[in-house]
Amino acid sequence: MKEFSNRYIFIFSSIMVIAVATLLSLAATVLQPRQLKNLEIEKKKSMLESIGIPSIRESTESLYDKYINESFVLNSKGEVVDGVAAFPVELALEQKKPLEQQYLPVFLASTDTGEKVTIIPVQGKGLWGPIYGYVSLKPDMNTIYGVTFDHKGETPGLGAEINTSSFEGMFPGKQLYNGEKFVSIGVVKGGTKPGDIHGVDAISGGTITSKALEKMLKDCIVKYNDYLLKNRNQI
Amino acid sequence: MENLLNIFIKSIFVDNMVFAFFLGMCSYLAVSKTVKTSMGLGIAVIFVLLITVPVDFMIEKYVLRKGALIWLGEGFGDVDLSFLTFMVFIAVIAAMVQLVEMVIEKFSSSLYNSLGIFLPLIAVNCAILGASLFMQEREYENVVEATVFGLGSGVGWLLAIVGIAAIREKLKYSNVPDPLKGLGITFILTGLMAIGFMGFMGIKL
Amino acid sequence: MSNHEKEPMFSARNLKLLTGPIGTNNPITIQVLGICSALAVTVKLKPALVMALSVTIVVAISNVVIAAMRKYIPDRIRIIVQLVVIATLVILVDQFLKAYAFDVSKQLSVFVGLIITNCIIMGRLEAFAMANKPWASFIDGLGNGAGYGLILIIVAFFREFLGSGTIYGYPVMQKLGIYSLGYENNGMMILPPMALIVVGLIIWYQRSKDRTLIENK
Repeated sequence: MKEFSNRYIFIFSSIMVIAVATLLSLAATVLQPRQLKNLEIEKKKSMLESIGIPSIRESTESLYDKYINESFVLNSKGEVVDGVAAFPVELALEQKKPLEQQYLPVFLASTDTGEKVTIIPVQGKGLWGPIYGYVSLKPDMNTIYGVTFDHKGETPGLGAEINTSSFEGMFPGKQLYNGEKFVSIGVVKGGTKPGDIHGVDAISGGTITSKALEKMLKDCIVKYNDYLLKNRNQI
Repeated sequence: MENLLNIFIKSIFVDNMVFAFFLGMCSYLAVSKTVKTSMGLGIAVIFVLLITVPVDFMIEKYVLRKGALIWLGEGFGDVDLSFLTFMVFIAVIAAMVQLVEMVIEKFSSSLYNSLGIFLPLIAVNCAILGASLFMQEREYENVVEATVFGLGSGVGWLLAIVGIAAIREKLKYSNVPDPLKGLGITFILTGLMAIGFMGFMGIKL
Repeated sequence: MSNHEKEPMFSARNLKLLTGPIGTNNPITIQVLGICSALAVTVKLKPALVMALSVTIVVAISNVVIAAMRKYIPDRIRIIVQLVVIATLVILVDQFLKAYAFDVSKQLSVFVGLIITNCIIMGRLEAFAMANKPWASFIDGLGNGAGYGLILIIVAFFREFLGSGTIYGYPVMQKLGIYSLGYENNGMMILPPMALIVVGLIIWYQRSKDRTLIENK
């Protein structure tokens, strides 16, 4: 093989680095708007799912605008914070702040029957990575209307089952409060007793993810306690 | 502490690099003919992982992630270099492997010779890049958690490759049907070992 | 072969480059390359197909690029240059998927990045592109990508059909009414071990058909 001088190697490498950097930066910049749009649509799709409205990529935005008409941000005392948009708030980042500084988004939707439903985002740590989702509540701010959950890296067939309709389907109708006391929803290993309105069955073999989900619901929704109690049956 | 132990044990048994995620299969299949070389390669893999995973974690946190460059100044808060992740990670890995290669050559030339081409091939061993990518995806809190994960993944890989090597050595005395000899039976064996490892899924610490 | 004759584009030799890896020189079952991703993404057909396509694109284009540059690459930085070319292509594929095939890119997650370490690509660069002309290298890349894709599709077909009762998302089992006969989806198929066993069986089948491929120790 021909002997290449050090100078040649240096020039060759520099040209490569510049060419690669340019190409990649160009691609990333050109494609970024669409990628961000995808993330936005995914968020909207999840929220619609939590109130039981299925959607495909093309229909998501119009359905979102149709059903979800109001959104605002609360602080930890349950007061509305002016001038802060709810949609861009990223829970994972908020949770790193001290409680008094956290923004708690609330989304209000109207269903086809005219019922007003409140959507709350939730975020937590699963077994292997983040788990998250949306919980929607009936006007009594107590009974669950619908839920949707997702995860980044839970074990397929086990923890990953939190994303399935059979798991999510257990939640509608369950209640967060026992009177005025916030008890959240338990995810019970071995199954709940019949008629338990505060619990759903855990996933067999996916105990850790199930327990993580239980903790996520409790820790996230309790922050809205003041707001939920104050607005019970008010909307 | 309990959390760290949890991550460690889980990454060895439940999310084993070979049996659950199929990472590092190529060198796994090629080197597992004897226990001795498998042990050597496994240790080299652990060593490389121990260095690359924490280094990649730091780079991800302070350079690549969206808003990571904020320590340079307010204006950099919007910069998102995450598209360079693959490039940077593989560069770190290639550099580390080069280092490990030089160290092994100095300290144990017999190991160096028996590993042969597979030493530089650690650089393209999907288990190494995979560990860093998984670490990034799982968003560990701090560098200690990430390191423990890297260590556990390496140990898991070593267990897998030494295990199958041990079986293959004994396999010489069995009657394997001709078309299955070599590669075929190794696949099926690995599948059976994977089923066995699935039994660890219910571990509660 | 005379240096003055330019080899026709679709010569017999080039055709063999395309068809060889699909059968007797299959990257997965014979060359033992690219195993990792073949097992991981074959739970359903759709991600398997996208992966097969992505790998084919990367191996074909990187083959062409390296073959075109082969006389100018200094030996000392050869591996690094190869890695940089591969990584660049993979990043481009990944960015493209995130923009235009978001759902699948989520399913493939880290395994898109792992295309970089897919031994097929590096393997073909070293074994072929470094010593051959660009067009031949391109064909070689396509052939190996196709061979890889074929195995992926076969494994994914069985795993999806038996494990979820669907083919490319279409609920076949349900339509055929097999569930009412008491049949249940084989949940094992979705889990990793079965992928290994299915590939083992494919290898068994291939070597029974073509006994020259048998490893005799």
